[in-house]
Amino acid sequence: MIKQLDLKTSVGKTKIGPKSQDTGFQSKIWKRFSRHPGAMIGTIVFTVLVLAVLLGSLSPYSAVNSNVLERLQSPSWHHLMGTDALGRDLLTRILYGGRISLAVGMMVVVITLFIGVAFGAVAGYAGGWIDNVLMRITDAALTLPSLLVLILISSILREIEMPFFEKNNVVTIAVVIGLLSWMTFARLVRAAFLTLREMDYVTAARGLGASHLRVVLAHILPNAVGPIIVESTLQLGYAIIEESGLSFLGFGIQQPTPSWGNLLSNAQENFIKYPWLAIFPGVMIFLAIISVNYIGDGLRDAFDPYKVLSKVGEV
Amino acid sequence: MSKNKTVRSLIQISLLVILTAGLVDCGKPPAVTPASTRSEPTAVVPAATSAGTATSSITIIIPEEPPSFNAVISDTGYDALVMHMSLLGMTGIDPEGNIFPVLASELPTVDNGEVVINDQTKEMDVTWKMRRDVTWADGTPVSAEDVLFTYEAASDPTNGFAIPGLDLVTGIDKIDDYTFVVHFSSTYPDYLSFLGGRQIVIWPKHYCNLDQGYTAWDCGRNPLSDGPYILKEWVTSDHLIFVRNPKYFEPGKPNIDQIIVSVVPDASVRETMMRQGDADILMWATEQVANDLKDASNVKLSISPTSRWVMRLFINLAAKGTTDPVATPNPLFGDVRVRQAIRMAIDVDKITSSVWYGYAQPVWTEFFRPPYNTCNIARPKLDIEGAKALLDQAGWAVGADGIRVCKGCMFAQEGDRFQFDLLTYSEYGEPLILTQQLIGEMFKAVGIQASLTQAEGSVMWADSSSGGIEQSGNYDIDLYDDGYAGIDPSYFLSYYYSSASAVPDQGWNVVRFVNAQFDSLIEETNTLNSQTRQTAFCEMAQILDQQLPQILLFTTLNAEAYSTRLTNIQANINSVVSWNVADWTITK
Amino acid sequence: MGQFIVRRLLQAVGILFLLSILFFILVNLAPGGPLAGYGGARHLPPEQAVILRKQLGLDKPLPVQYVIWLAGNDWMRVDQSAVASGTSYGTRRGILRGDFGFSFQTRQPVLTVISERLPNTLYLMVATLLVALAIAIPAGILSAVRQYSFFDISVTTFSFAGQAIPDFWLGLILIIIFYAWLKNPVTGDSLLPSGGILTIGVPFSLLDALQHLILPLATGALGWVAWYSRFLRSSMLDVIHQDYLRTARAKGLSERVVIYKHALRNALIPLVTLFALDLPYIFSGAVFIETIFAWPGMGRLYYQAALQRDYPVLLAILIIGAGFILLSNLLADILYAVLDPRIRYS
Repeated sequence: MIKQLDLKTSVGKTKIGPKSQDTGFQSKIWKRFSRHPGAMIGTIVFTVLVLAVLLGSLSPYSAVNSNVLERLQSPSWHHLMGTDALGRDLLTRILYGGRISLAVGMMVVVITLFIGVAFGAVAGYAGGWIDNVLMRITDAALTLPSLLVLILISSILREIEMPFFEKNNVVTIAVVIGLLSWMTFARLVRAAFLTLREMDYVTAARGLGASHLRVVLAHILPNAVGPIIVESTLQLGYAIIEESGLSFLGFGIQQPTPSWGNLLSNAQENFIKYPWLAIFPGVMIFLAIISVNYIGDGLRDAFDPYKVLSKVGEV
Repeated sequence: MSKNKTVRSLIQISLLVILTAGLVDCGKPPAVTPASTRSEPTAVVPAATSAGTATSSITIIIPEEPPSFNAVISDTGYDALVMHMSLLGMTGIDPEGNIFPVLASELPTVDNGEVVINDQTKEMDVTWKMRRDVTWADGTPVSAEDVLFTYEAASDPTNGFAIPGLDLVTGIDKIDDYTFVVHFSSTYPDYLSFLGGRQIVIWPKHYCNLDQGYTAWDCGRNPLSDGPYILKEWVTSDHLIFVRNPKYFEPGKPNIDQIIVSVVPDASVRETMMRQGDADILMWATEQVANDLKDASNVKLSISPTSRWVMRLFINLAAKGTTDPVATPNPLFGDVRVRQAIRMAIDVDKITSSVWYGYAQPVWTEFFRPPYNTCNIARPKLDIEGAKALLDQAGWAVGADGIRVCKGCMFAQEGDRFQFDLLTYSEYGEPLILTQQLIGEMFKAVGIQASLTQAEGSVMWADSSSGGIEQSGNYDIDLYDDGYAGIDPSYFLSYYYSSASAVPDQGWNVVRFVNAQFDSLIEETNTLNSQTRQTAFCEMAQILDQQLPQILLFTTLNAEAYSTRLTNIQANINSVVSWNVADWTITK
Repeated sequence: MGQFIVRRLLQAVGILFLLSILFFILVNLAPGGPLAGYGGARHLPPEQAVILRKQLGLDKPLPVQYVIWLAGNDWMRVDQSAVASGTSYGTRRGILRGDFGFSFQTRQPVLTVISERLPNTLYLMVATLLVALAIAIPAGILSAVRQYSFFDISVTTFSFAGQAIPDFWLGLILIIIFYAWLKNPVTGDSLLPSGGILTIGVPFSLLDALQHLILPLATGALGWVAWYSRFLRSSMLDVIHQDYLRTARAKGLSERVVIYKHALRNALIPLVTLFALDLPYIFSGAVFIETIFAWPGMGRLYYQAALQRDYPVLLAILIIGAGFILLSNLLADILYAVLDPRIRYS
């Protein structure tokens, strides 16, 4: 599992001024984004994916109900991706599974965003001992061997019978993954804040009497938005893989609810004889992640063409 | 500048060193060296067999490695596999269920006077006579001393283990070097398996370290053999290599010089290895494998004449979360009519023919194997309309959305929906999950809503203080396979159906079946009189068929897939495939 | 600098201690226990359960178990038998003295269990990382030097693709192709073996070892290659346009010298530190790769231990893994300071 880690920023390297909040801002971003061929293709692919997944309920087949007369059929016009061991149409299952996988992914991004930005903003802005403590906590969280702890936590949470945590709950899994992935955001946001807080306009704002909160929310955060958005897209891809991996090991989404990960894990039993069961879910994961990565790359170029903050949360 | 270079070179060099070390280390697989044992075994490892002949070798593939050679402290089956290759017990048990002598020279019975029962106290003494021609691989004879040693180790309060029957043994006395007497405090019908059978072997007194304990001694991982094969090498989690024991007591056997046991976790890879001829025996071939390899001309299947594992529904007769079926009966399933209706709604044939490829056999009573399968319990009929009618009768009326609602039902509140969790365990594999789903659909068809959940085995079967689902009664219906081993169901029946076992953590009567008549019938089976036992068993069968605390569905396949170049491979549900390893032959 | 290192080491010890408590709680919090499904026995008879609890030390309250795990019990009188009351001292020395206890499943000392698997994981992962670097570094450099060339575009595309492929899926696909479908034209056997480190029962040969290594290595290396090549490319690009390189070129140095002597060195700095930070992944092993390719390593050990609730093994791997991560973080920070004279720690 490859995580992306930040580097120490090279402070004061360039002389680009703050991005202003004028109306041309967003259209400029878009213009730069649209000149990036990979990003445009990625956007198209991802949109198609999301649409397909949402329209999955239009399928004449059920994702869950069995049809034992049509078991393990190879792809045909009848079943474009073949059928699984209970005769369920694989394409339908993949589309429904996509909902779960993408939902988990989005939720993870939201969770890590909240926790990470909170940590990073406070640490980067406040500095001093607050920064020290928060960063030590982040470091400690980073020392957790993530996959190992993921396995452990999900086997605990799987069994909890609490009103909100139904078993097999997408939220539970997203929380588990999110709890172990917010650290990248924290470091990234902190580094950005460390840089941005030295900017002249911040000093000016403070001099004019703006409160800390206002400075953070109105002046610093909007300028840090670039790397945050970029990292979010990467985090989405990472979360999808994590969920797939977890389900693959048997700890994530449980049957009969499909998810891309547990579709792969089902395939493991007889994938050599029925390879389509393994090929198609993997292709879906691949398409989702590569398109999201290209979008992230395009966004990075769009937000930060002169690479002020790009040192932060590199690559 | 030079500092950077130095640091970089240092990093490169140290990594190279690590890699080289790793390669060298792994180039010669680290063989198991004899651990600290009291005496160094002169493990005889023959170089080549007889002059000139090449070493014949076969490969067995298994999904996980055996924890040790002691198949009673763990029960994975892979421990039994390797145990029966190297070690011997007093008796063995064949696929039909017949017990035959191994270390014993003859089977003790009442008729030959070697089994004596005191009619008043029910105490039993069994005299065993041992063969005199069996030796350990270092030449020491196998004697009654070893039997007493094994007993002492197993019954040690700190380091021992509760072998079946051990709690009834008051002591073992040595008569001479090859004769001993086992004293039972009450009649134990399965006495022939007490020191043998599937799980127990005799351990060498002069080699195993009693201080280390029966459950942890080093000789459990590096044994001294008296069986057909000697462990030559064990690379953890990867493979074991066995070579033939030249001192094995059966002349001319074993026929095969070398057996490799290889650990391959992935099921599909194992299947392909068999197809491509890269392995000779696939232990415990699943239904999927059996079906897939049907068209492979180089693979045959040996199917056990009977099976042990019966897929069944465990129905919690107490309300979910409680353990007392009388005080808090299960609102949905406390009514026996509901249980009967459920059974009528399940189309067992549909399940066995689809998900299990026809290899599963429908079973509806615990007494389906010889010699106690003559109770004539009729097979339940699939009757969906009858099921619906019975559910109506039991006070469950079909609601607006098709799910039944209590209207005059026996235990639930008026207006409660018939909704519950159908639980199964996750490690079994696809077929069980699919079966769970099919059953869920069949329930839906008669208006019962089952939500499907899975739990890990280690959670399902933990004790109640560890949050074990079954022991704490935290379930409605469980679905998984279980069944008694060997030919005698008494132990199983007592643990799963007697009222003493219904107390949490005191047994496995997790369905909380409390029936005084059943309890007294269990008592009656503690005799060697087969007539009495048969009658008692059949009465029990009747009770279970009417009360349905568990609904038995079908047995799963017990088969071994093996290469056509081998003969004499026989699947054995009562033991393990290596039960007759000395007889295996390679023909070409 | 020395002060910095000492301070970080002390912090590391403190963090490890806190983590040990966290891990201990987590591991024991997981419902179910090692007794259920113990060694495959589904339903353990109650008498056996009682004996086992005592043998595994699970009958004591959790804080006591933690102390015993940490500091051993040879300084306290223990209740050795299920029947008699305690009179003798225990035998465990605790992890502070290097005794990680014994595995619940196999009863072997945990360190023995780990040390039997660790070399295999190291072998695979170090080989994977080295091969990945050997491919990624030249690829990254060249694609930076020849920005926007066909080579550059293909490398970039490949690296995006490589990061998008889940490694467990790739492993399955590779097995399908190279073990099931493709055949060696000479022998008719499969082109590559399906798993394991070596062919069993035959004398060691380097060719054999390499054949077994290729597929798991390829599965693991793909992600690293993709990531490092992209990273190095971007790092190189940043460096290439620096002013001091312009000076070097103006001085008349050849482009090759400019690239390899000046640019590369500085572009490699962040790479080195990132590499040091990735080292822990060697230790936790690739759970997926080892399971699919039947590689007897640490990752699979952890996975099985998690399923079987083999607490001592789980705890040992977690603590050692965390310690490893802390050390490599420190190493990375030190390296970064050493290599980049602009960075100084107070």
